[in-house]
Order: sequence, then C-alpha cells, then structure tokens
Amino acid sequence: MKLLLTITLAMLFAGNLWADLAGDFSTANEFYARGKYAEAATAYHKLLGTGAESPALWFNLANAEFKTGNLGRAIAAYRHAATLAPRDAEIRANLQFVRNQVQGATIRESRWRGWLGTLSLGEWTILTAIAFWLALALLTARQLRPALATRLKTATRLLVALTLGAGSVLAVQAAGHFSARTAVVITPSAQARSGPFDDAQTAFSPHDGAELSVLDRHDQWVQVTDGSGKSGWLPLTSVEVLPGA
Amino acid sequence: MMRFLSKTWLVMIATALLQGVAAAASFTASLDREALTLGEQATLSLKFEGADTQNPPGLPAIPGLQFQYVGPSTSFSFINGQTSSSITYNYLVIPQRDGQFTIPAMRIQVGGQTLTSNPLKLTVTKPGAPSADDVNAGNEVAFLKFVLPKKQVYLGEPIVGTLELYLRDDVQNINGFQLTSSPTDGFSAGKVIEQNNQKRRVQMGQRTYTIIPLALPLTAVRTGPLTLGPFTANLGVILPGQNQGGDPFFRQFFNQGEQRQVSLGTDPFSVEVLPLPAQNRPAGFTGAVGDFTMSFSAGPTNLTVGDPITARVQISGHGALDAVTLAVPDSWQNFKAYPPTSKFEPADQYGFAGTKTFEQILTPQNSDVRELPAYTFAFFNPDDGQYHHLTQPAIPLTLHAAAANPLPATAGNRATPENANPQDILPVKEHLGTLAFAGTPLLAQPGFLALQAVPVLAFLGALVWRKRTDSLANNPRLRRQRAVAQLVATGLNDLDKFAAANRSEEFFALLFRLMQEQLGERLDVPASAITEADVDNRLVRLGASAATLESLRELFQLCNQARYAPVRGTGELNSLAAKLKPALAELQGLKP
Repeated sequence: MKLLLTITLAMLFAGNLWADLAGDFSTANEFYARGKYAEAATAYHKLLGTGAESPALWFNLANAEFKTGNLGRAIAAYRHAATLAPRDAEIRANLQFVRNQVQGATIRESRWRGWLGTLSLGEWTILTAIAFWLALALLTARQLRPALATRLKTATRLLVALTLGAGSVLAVQAAGHFSARTAVVITPSAQARSGPFDDAQTAFSPHDGAELSVLDRHDQWVQVTDGSGKSGWLPLTSVEVLPGA
Repeated sequence: MMRFLSKTWLVMIATALLQGVAAAASFTASLDREALTLGEQATLSLKFEGADTQNPPGLPAIPGLQFQYVGPSTSFSFINGQTSSSITYNYLVIPQRDGQFTIPAMRIQVGGQTLTSNPLKLTVTKPGAPSADDVNAGNEVAFLKFVLPKKQVYLGEPIVGTLELYLRDDVQNINGFQLTSSPTDGFSAGKVIEQNNQKRRVQMGQRTYTIIPLALPLTAVRTGPLTLGPFTANLGVILPGQNQGGDPFFRQFFNQGEQRQVSLGTDPFSVEVLPLPAQNRPAGFTGAVGDFTMSFSAGPTNLTVGDPITARVQISGHGALDAVTLAVPDSWQNFKAYPPTSKFEPADQYGFAGTKTFEQILTPQNSDVRELPAYTFAFFNPDDGQYHHLTQPAIPLTLHAAAANPLPATAGNRATPENANPQDILPVKEHLGTLAFAGTPLLAQPGFLALQAVPVLAFLGALVWRKRTDSLANNPRLRRQRAVAQLVATGLNDLDKFAAANRSEEFFALLFRLMQEQLGERLDVPASAITEADVDNRLVRLGASAATLESLRELFQLCNQARYAPVRGTGELNSLAAKLKPALAELQGLKP
C-alpha cells in the first residue's frame, strides 16, 4: 500500500514537473518567436538547470545561441541534442549549417564515426543488451530442451554474432564517450597557448565554434589540437568540453 | 535712522497699550459669514479692546465644527488725543456637516475682570446647484454644472461628461479649484481635463458669465439606472475689493481684490446604461464598443513549418479602444498562437479615439497549411445600436515542411540542389518532447550492469542442470541409487503410519521390501533376489558394522515370522521401524 502511494505520488510529481517545464519551454519559445534570442537562451538554460533535458530543449537552446551570435555555444548545444537524438534530421541540418559559419581549422567527424553515431550510446547499449539476453535465452533453452538445439542453431549463431558485433561497437562508443573529449571554442577571441599558463606564448588562435580534440587536462586548462595538427592549451572558460571525439 | 524710527514706534505702541488698559475693556466675537455651504470656511474673530491678553483664548468644542487658529492682529488708534488699542485672534471655522450651529458666549478672565462675548449663529448648507433665480439675479459669483450629451448609454460605451464652471463677470481671478466629490458609481472615470481653449461667455439674467469646461471621460461598466454626481468643488475667487474708491488708474495697479472661498455643487445627473443587445451578436465579438476600422497584414508568407508569422491587426476609430482585445479565431487551429502584444496610439486626450495595433505571432503546425484563414473583428456601434464586423480575407501562404529543408551533407544524406544553400537555421521545436534527466549513461549504471548477470546465471544454471541430467541418464546404478533413496524416504514415512495404525501385515511387507531394495541397490543385484543370507555373505564385505548386520538379520527374521503370526502391537512396530532407519542410513553410506 505504501509502495503504491509512493508510486502514485511520484507519478503525480512527475506529471506536474513536466507540465511546469512544458510551460516554461513554451515561454522560452515565445521569446524566440519575438526575436528576444538572449532571453530565450536564458530561459532554455534555466530549464536545463533543473536537470531535465530533451533533444528539443538542446536544439532550441542552440538555435537561440546561434541567433545571439554564439556559434560555439550553438554547436555545443546541437551536439548535446544530437547525442540524445542522433537521427534527428533537423538537428543535423542546423549543426551543419552552423558549422559552415565557423572559420578556421576544426576537426571533423570521420565517416565511420558518423555511421556509428547513427545510434546513441544508450541505444547501442540497449541493442547490445537485447542481443545478449536473447542469445543467452536461446543458449539456456538449448540446455533445458536439447531437442530444440537443432532448430535454434541458426538463430543462436546470429544472435551471438549480433551480440559480439553490437558489443564491439558499444565498446568503441563507450571508449569515445568516457575517454575521448571534444572541446568547442565558445569565445570569439580564444588563444591557445603553448603551456597551461596565462603568460605562455600563443600557439594558435581558434575561432568561435572551432571543434578541437582534447589531448590532456591540467587544472583549469585543456590541451587541444585542431584538424591541422596545431596544439595548444586553452582555459576552460574559453571552451565547452563535450564527451566523444 | 531706521533703528531710531523703530524704537519710536515701539514706544508709542507701549504707551498706547498702557493707556488702553486703563480704559474699559471689551470682548467681541464675530464671524465674517453667517451662512456657508459645506466645503466653505468662515473666519471667527475674537477681538479684545482695552484688555491685555497674552495668549489666544481656547474655544468651546462644538460638534460639527472645527476651529483652526490662524494668528493675531493688532490695531492702534490715536483720535483726538485719545488712544485705543485692540488685539484680534482669528480662527478658521471649518464645518464638518451641514446644519445650524451656535457658537456660545465665551467668558474670559483678563486683568482681574471677566469679559463675555456675544453668541454667534452659523448656518451650513449642503452644496448644490444654485437656483435659476439666484443665477439670473447675478447673486452667484461662481457655480458648477454637469452636462452629459446623452441620457442613455450602452455598457462599455465611452462618453465625455463636462463640468462647466461658471464665473461671474466681476471675478478677477480664480485659484485652487479642487473637486471635493465626484461620485461616478457604475462608470469608469478618467482624469478631469480642463479645456481652456473652449472657454465661452454667456449672458444669464443681467450678468455675463464665463464658462470654463472641464472634461470628464466616462465609460459605463454597469447596466441600469445610474446617477452621476452631485459633483462638488472648492474654488478661490478674487473679487473687486470693498474699498475701491479713488482714482481708477491707481486702483488697477494697487487694488489686489478680495479673495473669497466658494463651494460649488451640481445637481445629480440620472443616466441609464443599457446592456449590449443579445440579438445578432457575432460569434467573435469580444466586447469592443465604438466605431472602428481595421487593417490587417501578415508576413512572411513564404516560410517553413514552425517559422513564426507576425499578424499585425490595426483597429482605428473612436470607442473604448482600451478594452479592445484580439481574439484568436477557431479557424487558426493549425497555428500555434502566442499571446498578442498591443500598442495604443491615442488620437484624443481622453483615449477614446486612436489606433490600437496588435501583433500576433503565429507558427504553422504542419505543411498542409495553405493560407492564414480570414480574420473577423466584430464590434458594437452605439451610434446605430447595431453590431458590425470587419473581415480580412485569407492570406495565401507557401509552406515548406521542416524535414524537406536542407539536410547536412553528412553520411547518408546528399544535398539536393533545392536545399544545397540554406539561408538560415531551421526554426525551434514547438514541443518539449520526452524528458530525460541528465546523468550517468546506462552503460555505466551499476543496476544495469548487475541486471546483465541474470541471463548469465540462468544459462549457467541450465548448463549445470543439463550436465547432471546427462550424467544420471548415462549411469543406471546412480539412477537406481537415487530411485531407491527416494523409495526409502517415502517408505519410512509409510512405515510409521502403518505402525501407528497397527497394520502389522502391511508394515512387515513394506519393511521387507525396503530392506530388499536398499540391499539390492548396494549389492547391485535385483531386490527380489535379496535374502537374509546375503546379509552375512555379501554385506560384510562392504564393511557394514556388526550392529547393522545384527539389526538387519533380526528384521529379516521377524519379517519371516510375521508371515505366520502377523499380529503385533503398535509399540513393537515402532521399535522395529526405529531399528530399520539407522541400518538403512548406514547402508546408504556404504561404498558398493
């Protein structure tokens, strides 16, 4: 009974929370529609500050940031949106559009990475888990009913292969997510220095919106490299570090 | 020189005062007016002649009258060698209500003698419009009239009432006009606006009056018979002074005139507020009352689903524009409408005419939208008492589906000539979508990882089970061992039951069978072939204890005897069962 009450209250709370967030989202959209992009961006940020996120929320924030002239912040937000909804054509279209506005060297996603990115990390995880469970279910069934072994042979092999394949991709994606990092420059006049110090010599000057690979991290600095092989240290205030390469 | 003159003057005053004390003292009370209307003030003067008073005397409390001390004034006269002096204490008398008041005689002790004043009467009347006779006779210095162009107005209809301030031709100047009461129940009243450019003069009786109109914007907010007023006001007027003798040339420069405070009032004005007719009321009517025109524009008309369209509606004319709202018609259901903004540009000083501009942001919800449907604005015109509507025809739209917009030239997406060069980003999404809470990816959540152990454990369980099953299937002796163990377990229970029921025949039959089955399994021979002789011959080799062998031997013998004399007591059967159990247990532990 207590559990039922708890579940009911939790559902009510979730329902109210969603309604509140949807109302604030609509208000932010209204700001955007009226051309008040900075206010809209602030409102979207406030929503994200609640801990809730959705592809639409990140997408709209990105739009507002772009309209405000913040290419880097827009790209970072689009990438967040793409992480949650990797097959959303509108997100990809706007991300590409904004990327086209960025000047200077920047790293680009490889083709095979792009293919792997068709599914999000969570989706790869679920796909692998489903294949894993089904494969083991068939293997278990074969132990319990040896007579089925012949009939389940092909399916079992396919599922084991699928598990291994999906698991491999998942491993690659997970490695990219948990170890590799991308830094998006979010200030118009960032200067990458040869060392993690304010008075270090300037190595190169990435433009706002440039996407850089993170090589190392030291206190409030990240060592980055651009697509042309230049590397340097940028303060964390100049970049937004995202998971994934 | 000035100091010398001042000292001389003070000496003269002091001398006069001293002589005045010696003269007979008097105390006189007087009012400058015996009648006044509520809102006006009178001056009470307490004059002491030939008496030396240092402080203003206290006044009796009179309900309905309020006294406010103004200050003293002194006078000094020297006539025919006789000097006299007086001091007058002045008070403002402010009536709080209408009625007849009496200021009683006051007794004041001054210099050892008691002085008594005369009682005074004061009449306070309610304000109101003066009578026509008074006006025509020119008795009224100033008066107020309220004028409304109509006696019947519609609910929500704006109308401008006028307070006309009449000033007699001898009024030199006015100041301090202040409305003290303006009852407008049932109406929303605006600010009173003086209309100096509409001053005019009229002849009333033998006098000429100047009319100063004061506009009062009103909007009826309640239906039924209503009353406006009586409006009351206070006004300071400056009239020519009483002593205006002498040369008129000098008089115009030096005579400042006499200031008088007058109280003004109007008669109440009855007006009937009619409800808006229910008949023929248009569906989209939102309460706009007046006479209006409309202009409508919307853009852009070539856009993508989700792009905003700004619809601009301008309502111009005269009426209660402040209350005009923009209603989103039902035909716009394919558009998401944000709350409109509005801007009002008044064309008159009352806010009853001008242009109200609404901006409505609309976003098409799907690509099937082909037009912005017609917009109709309905209003009620109180001049002809009818509803009217203004319609803006539908505006064609060219909409592109969002998905058909430029997709990036990424893997699996080739740009088409149509969308190769997008001009702008795609618009924001209207719906929040499925919410998630940012946190650790599923892959790294301990609960999820622990869950993956379930199929593994299930598989391992099945594997073990399969191995044991196969092992059993390939080992008949093991299979027999398990079957006998099962048989013995259930048999021993049955044995107890037979003993309890004293069913000796079944008891011994079962006892014999259990021993045969267990010994046969251990000795790997058919159970039916087991006899008492096998206990000695073969069981000894397996290492059975002597006690067990003895028990088994005894039990076999008893079983044989029971075939001929089966009847035994329950206690004896129980002891036999107790003997069998440890023996069988030991047998099961022997290695064959």
